[in-house]
Amino acid sequence: MKIFKSIKWRLQIYYGIFLALALMALVGTDYQLERNRRFESIDHYLNLHFDRVLDLMQRPPLFREGEPLPKAPPPEPPFPHHQPDRPPLPFSALSSFINDRAFDMPNINPTYYVIWLPGGKELMRSTNAPSDLEMPQHHEIRTRGAYREHISNGLPGFVILVGRNIAPELNELHRYLLKEIASWVLMLFVGLSVGWQVAGRAIKPVEDISAAAAKISAGDLSQRINVAETESELGQLASVLNSTFSRLETAFAQQRQFTADAAHELRTPISVILTQTQTALQRERNAAEYRETMEACERAAQRMRRLTESLLELARLDAGQEPMKRLKFNLSQTAWDCVELVRPLAAERGVKIHCDLPAVDGYGDAERLAQAITNLLANAVQYNKANGEVRISTKLQGSMILLAVSDTGPGISSEDLPHVFERFYRGDKSRTVANGNAGLGLAISKAIVEAHGGTIEVSSNPNVGTTFTVRLPT
Amino acid sequence: MRILIVEDEPDLLRSLAQVLREEDYAVDTAADGEDGLFKAESYDYDAVVLDVMLPKLDGWEILSRLRKTKKTPVLMLTARDQTRDRVRGLDTGADDYMVKPFDLPELFARLRALIRRSANKSTNLIEIGSVTIDTAARNVMRTDAPVELTAREYALVVFLALHRGQVVTRTQLYEHLFDESDSTLSNLLDVHVFNIRKKLGHDFIATRRGHGYCIE
Repeated sequence: MKIFKSIKWRLQIYYGIFLALALMALVGTDYQLERNRRFESIDHYLNLHFDRVLDLMQRPPLFREGEPLPKAPPPEPPFPHHQPDRPPLPFSALSSFINDRAFDMPNINPTYYVIWLPGGKELMRSTNAPSDLEMPQHHEIRTRGAYREHISNGLPGFVILVGRNIAPELNELHRYLLKEIASWVLMLFVGLSVGWQVAGRAIKPVEDISAAAAKISAGDLSQRINVAETESELGQLASVLNSTFSRLETAFAQQRQFTADAAHELRTPISVILTQTQTALQRERNAAEYRETMEACERAAQRMRRLTESLLELARLDAGQEPMKRLKFNLSQTAWDCVELVRPLAAERGVKIHCDLPAVDGYGDAERLAQAITNLLANAVQYNKANGEVRISTKLQGSMILLAVSDTGPGISSEDLPHVFERFYRGDKSRTVANGNAGLGLAISKAIVEAHGGTIEVSSNPNVGTTFTVRLPT
Repeated sequence: MRILIVEDEPDLLRSLAQVLREEDYAVDTAADGEDGLFKAESYDYDAVVLDVMLPKLDGWEILSRLRKTKKTPVLMLTARDQTRDRVRGLDTGADDYMVKPFDLPELFARLRALIRRSANKSTNLIEIGSVTIDTAARNVMRTDAPVELTAREYALVVFLALHRGQVVTRTQLYEHLFDESDSTLSNLLDVHVFNIRKKLGHDFIATRRGHGYCIE
């Protein structure tokens, strides 16, 4: 069930169960106390009457003047424990007492009495006593149906029962219980609705945050959760979310920029192919013209291939799909190989390459690092002045290997310098068509070096040259 | 009609120039920003096709400097496709904006529209007496019969027709009908005019001695 997964509902259910039980205990206790109080008063009343009966029984029989003396011994039983010092009462006094309804006035449910002689014979029974009453076996205070009865012996061998119809009290208790239950329901309802409000208030900031977050994820990443409205513990959550959104926004912006740049880079070669082919197809051409078109298309396709390869390379480095190998390799030899690779380009531009490569071992993926070094060297040759110089050196510095590539080119302006490692960034605002470089070389070099746990830095002096320094852990 | 293309991608520049020449335009080319600005300021081109990312001087700069002196129609042709780039281009003074990659027929149509608008014409059809010129289909009809004109003759007719009622000087004609690769002789123009009169009627082009030519 979905609603039971909602915190608000769960809070409400726990709270409701607790409240119901607590109220039930309260109401139950109250009812029990009320019931005890009423029974106590009934019992007290019954006790008084019991004492009265006992008192009557303990008096010696009194014979009124003028009444004939009983011929036989006084009727059974002469109460054996009468106290001679007390004024005697006629036996009939007891009988008239227990049948005297006026005694109980105005009670319409008078007390009833039954007295059994030792041996079980019934001595006396008030006329209002329930007819089904038999001699009880135990001395106790009991509730029998709507009757409350006090049973005791009073005098040895006797059984005296003083009882009373308590139906009115029971009715009253019953009504009391109904009232209690009604107030229980009412209190539970009020408590639950207050609880619902409180839970709602407690949950509200969370709902606000999630609503704001939903709006943000729906596309507009520039929105933020209002932290002022969600103070307290939830404010922290909101701040955390906000900073996450900021990072996301930056990442998205970078991603968008990257995609736009990549698309932009692809547009030029595609335009070349489109224009070349559409031009060629406009009318019949001779073989030389077709050849020229094909060559231009090939150049464009090659350029796109270089670009897509670079993009793929970057994507792989970004995703960390290929963990860098950690193999020991001869770094100076690798650097030499890179120098050999760029020599033709250097020769073309009349650039001299000076090497200072003592034997140093590197650790990592030799092929990838060679790619990074070649990129740096090719840049150094390309952006050098004609007949300039390129210097490559390696040395150990503490626990790091230092590899530096410097040129004698025009240098990089201070505006461009912080951006040179950014993807698609080019100091010269136009395409450097000559090498079809999309401005990814340094970004790739940086990614490779960083994947090895190293760093790459650049420093530049206008008209003196630029130096790239790579530090790799040993 | 003479057009300047400023574009630094050599393959694109070459094929654009070729295909526009085949469309009977006189075409000049510039491979960098400085050269492009110099040429755009030196001649009254009928239209300039301008790339944005250029060595030495970018397209925005060329455009804003050119606009200080000339009203030449400019079509920006660039790989930058974002709205803010288009807005910037148009606000800087570009008359049209096309994003690479593009289709040649669209480029032709936009250039025709630019040239037409700068001559205050709203359609591709120009009617002069019994002669109808369709600049989109590039044909000329005289009383519903098609007339065969050479590329140069056609360009001359269209240029004069777009400047109908104005006297067009020989210098203007040279500037607009021949590009930097043409080596022309002055009397070549007279030959073309002579041939056009033969095909479209003697009165079609009037000669204003000492001034130039005119279509009334």
